[in-house]
Amino acid sequence: MGLVESGKMPKPLTKLLNLSRKYSIWAYQWGLACCAIEMGAAFASPRYDVMRLGVIPFPASPRQADLVVISGTVTDKIVPAIKRLYEQMPDPKYVISMGSCTNCGGPYWDSYSVTKGVDQIVPVDVYVPGCPPRPEALLEGIVLLQERIQNEDMAERWRGGQDRQEPIVVG
Amino acid sequence: MADETATATDEGPAVASDDRREALLAVFSDHLGDAVVGSHLKPGKALWIRVATAAWAEAALVARDKAGLKWFDFLSAIDWLPSPYGRYEDSSVDVPFPPPMPERSAAVPGYAGGDSRIQVLASVAQAGTDLRVLLKADVPDDDPRVPTWVRAYSGAAWHEREAHEMFGIGFDGNVDLRHIYLPSEFEGHPLRKEFPLLARVVKPWPGIVDVEPMPGEEPAPEGADETGGDA
Repeated sequence: MGLVESGKMPKPLTKLLNLSRKYSIWAYQWGLACCAIEMGAAFASPRYDVMRLGVIPFPASPRQADLVVISGTVTDKIVPAIKRLYEQMPDPKYVISMGSCTNCGGPYWDSYSVTKGVDQIVPVDVYVPGCPPRPEALLEGIVLLQERIQNEDMAERWRGGQDRQEPIVVG
Repeated sequence: MADETATATDEGPAVASDDRREALLAVFSDHLGDAVVGSHLKPGKALWIRVATAAWAEAALVARDKAGLKWFDFLSAIDWLPSPYGRYEDSSVDVPFPPPMPERSAAVPGYAGGDSRIQVLASVAQAGTDLRVLLKADVPDDDPRVPTWVRAYSGAAWHEREAHEMFGIGFDGNVDLRHIYLPSEFEGHPLRKEFPLLARVVKPWPGIVDVEPMPGEEPAPEGADETGGDA
């Protein structure tokens, strides 16, 4: 990592580093409600077979994860746990917000207990809309995230020069 | 609706009488006496019994020990105040905020009647049979406290915690009335009708703007009245 931190990484090495990050995303599953069923279908079933995309969906702890998929209704009570989860993840880290509830509160937009969008708590990289989204939509979100990872300039990121990019919206 | 003892039903085969539930009601009347202030018995359906507030805990002991209703189902409360916001899924406009507080109507609806704004209700059943009793009691408006059910059904403790945080009812004898669902710093009682939903203050209720015609139906004409529920 010395090369990355020095900010003098040759382009081919950047490409290689990004390629390996792109195809070894350890995705932490943070299922909070019914969207977690669709996430489970996408991550754990042979029908969708997320591992063919180079995603490893079973890290034992957020400290091993590169990506967290927050799917389901975020309530005010679980917000501290999500914040702690995000802070425990090592950089570079990515967040996928899956489903209407996580994106903006969804059908519970007027509830006294539901947080209106997880992006109030943690920065979101990919929004997957739907109530719930199909597993294919989540897979598309992952593929779009992989494209972004491939084109990232890690050295620039380490220097703090690269601004946070606009989030991706699937569909 | 209040305090009626219905015998005829519109739905299903007419059942003339229900000896088992009448016997169950008699058990409560024998042991509680005047504390049984109302009841509602519809043959073949759950039996409703309204007891005096002071006898609320004793009613639980009678239900468990004398009536054989050993299975505690739930304990909750209901707020009979009409909603000051008056907004439902099919209302097309919002009322201004803050709304005027409505007067509680004199006739409290609901089986077995009632006199207070908030009532507690609990369901107990006989395991293995279809016998179920819904007990209810008035919660005094000025001092919203009722006795606890924990001595009869220890599982009621968590239900009372929920009723405490959602309605602001005190349960005398329950020593652990911490919040159970809400964050501990939450203020207010969200299931009380006057509790404002702040999201609706910021953004008006969109009403039924998204209703689409069912396949094969004519689309609703432009400018049609949007107060109808099923367009």
